[in-house]
Amino acid sequence: MTHDTSAFSRRRFLQGSAVGAGILAAPAIVSSQALAASGTVNFVGWAGYPALAEKVFPAFAAATGIKVNFKELPDQETMFAEGKVALEAGGVDVLEPAIDRWGGWNSNGLLGPWDPAKLAMDNYLPGLADGSAGERSRADGKLMYVPSNWGTEALVANEANAKLSSPPSLGDLFNPENSAVLRPHSTLAAMGRWLDATGKLPRPWMDGYTDMAAMTELWDIALAEAIKAKGNVVQWWSGENEANAGFTANGATIGLNWDSTGYNLRKDGYKYIAPVEGAFAWHQGFVLMKNATNVDEAHEFAKFVSTPEGSAMWAAAFSSNAVGKGSAEFVDPEVAAYYGGTFDDAALAKLWWWPEQSAEFIAKRSEYADKYKAA
Amino acid sequence: MQDLLRRYGTGLTTLFCLLVAFWILVLVILPNFSMLFESFFPYLPVAELGGPKDVFTLQNYEKILANPIQTSWFGLPITLPIHVSTFVDTVFFSALVTLMTLILAYPLAYFLAKIASPRSIPTLLLLLFIPMWVSEALRAFAWYIILTFNGPLNALLKALGIIDQGIRWQNGVFSSYDAIVIVLTYCYVLFMLFPIYTSITSLDTNQIEAAEDLGSPWWRTHLRVVIPHAKPGIASGCVMVFMLSAGSLLVPTVVGSTKANWFPQTIYAWFNDALDWNTGAAYSMIFLLVSIIFVILAMRVFRVKLSDIAK
Repeated sequence: MTHDTSAFSRRRFLQGSAVGAGILAAPAIVSSQALAASGTVNFVGWAGYPALAEKVFPAFAAATGIKVNFKELPDQETMFAEGKVALEAGGVDVLEPAIDRWGGWNSNGLLGPWDPAKLAMDNYLPGLADGSAGERSRADGKLMYVPSNWGTEALVANEANAKLSSPPSLGDLFNPENSAVLRPHSTLAAMGRWLDATGKLPRPWMDGYTDMAAMTELWDIALAEAIKAKGNVVQWWSGENEANAGFTANGATIGLNWDSTGYNLRKDGYKYIAPVEGAFAWHQGFVLMKNATNVDEAHEFAKFVSTPEGSAMWAAAFSSNAVGKGSAEFVDPEVAAYYGGTFDDAALAKLWWWPEQSAEFIAKRSEYADKYKAA
Repeated sequence: MQDLLRRYGTGLTTLFCLLVAFWILVLVILPNFSMLFESFFPYLPVAELGGPKDVFTLQNYEKILANPIQTSWFGLPITLPIHVSTFVDTVFFSALVTLMTLILAYPLAYFLAKIASPRSIPTLLLLLFIPMWVSEALRAFAWYIILTFNGPLNALLKALGIIDQGIRWQNGVFSSYDAIVIVLTYCYVLFMLFPIYTSITSLDTNQIEAAEDLGSPWWRTHLRVVIPHAKPGIASGCVMVFMLSAGSLLVPTVVGSTKANWFPQTIYAWFNDALDWNTGAAYSMIFLLVSIIFVILAMRVFRVKLSDIAK
């Protein structure tokens, strides 16, 4: 089989199956177009945050008359898969990935640009949609991503039983006296950053995110160290439920988890602590599908989540932080107090934003996560 | 076909055939064919599809032989590629699950078919079926709760004074796959029970009595009379339980220990963590092929034909 004919038949095959998928999906396409006239937006977002459907979407509908068709998915990988299917079958307008992920989605041809004129770019808090974050939201000068909320991944620790160093460090996750709830890939990054901070790496950990040769060199070291400390891992998590069960049902004393996990466990004797190396921080937002049918409604939707009230509600649903100016007065005082307890100004200044990760990096990263899991 | 036409007429028969053809072609053959096809091409961004890099390749299949790790089998250290090791574990522990379900199901099937009074059969079958009314996801999660460190099993054993320190059952006492084996056995035991029950029911009770009259001890009656008759049922039960266990994604994900890796989880990781659908497809094909070979070999060894199982 020569290269030319194989590529040719592959295209033919894909075209054929796309036509087939189109016919099968015809009812969905027809109905989504029919719905577009009455003002809807098809949104694919995160599962496990019921306040979105209970509070935010009704408020959005009340403000604009636009109904949100919400499809809940557990993680970004599943969202990407959904988007890839929707590229052929339609039916998705807006998705909600993290800022370090949309680049990979875009290079897969999923995304179309936002029109800043239809949004209100002045609504966003400084540093979230401008500056370096603003640069990272654009491709070829076009705005591809607008923020929806942001948050952190740091230590969740049992107040009574976790053995913490002073000040608390990412290294506490690998203390054999603690039992830990971890997820493989961020744990390897935590190990890398801890080794970096204690001067045990031959070059800066950040080099791995830009140079694949440095990546394998550094991740090999982090993997070997993490495997040595693996005995204290009692539960893997990939979503909110597993993380929570790891602490409550499996009795873990420490974990590297999202802030929402810490918030949900705050009354069960757990604290959310920023490590001395700085908490991992993520930035999440809306992207527009290239073949979105409800483009104006999608812009209205993203704009609503930049208003003081909308952004506060969105952040409250995720127990995370709002992106809109003036959102502070709408934030639940309990949530505000919770974050104030973890992040003083020094901890905020140390936030470690997840760097951009290419498709090649992510493939390699999951290889390391795989080895760590199997060890 | 003639029989079908005579009984249902042209219209209904055509409908039946079309529906069956749709099922097999669109829901089984085409998706698998598309996976097979994609498994021979590299994972590329959409923009590079059809470009110079988009060529026929075996590299997705070669990946299963990459990344050797140190592991051990029954205490013997051995170096294997990481995914081959996962694969071997999956096949081994699925076979173990099959054996466990067989040990549990055979006596029960015999009891139901030959010993229990016919009047109590509907009640007994209902009792066996009730757990099946709950979804597999919930049953797996219930087992997760039972086996957790702060779970009811540890609480009970502590209250009875049998243990004073909680045991991490999920991480395994004998191997890191204990929890998976327990829960898969629980989930799939009925798939073993019913084929065996059906085949033992068709055995003439006189044959068992004749064996006993001729002085055969109970174990020889089973070995020479009941088991040979029930072999097709045992074989189809084994094939079903083995394939279901080896292909299970949900149970290993929910109850698996931090050291266990089930091959479907590896496939899932290729699709959903690495976003490399092509390699995921290649792994699926390898898994499908080797599982089929394994089942055919097992059928050869036990001298069962496919037509026996279909009955």
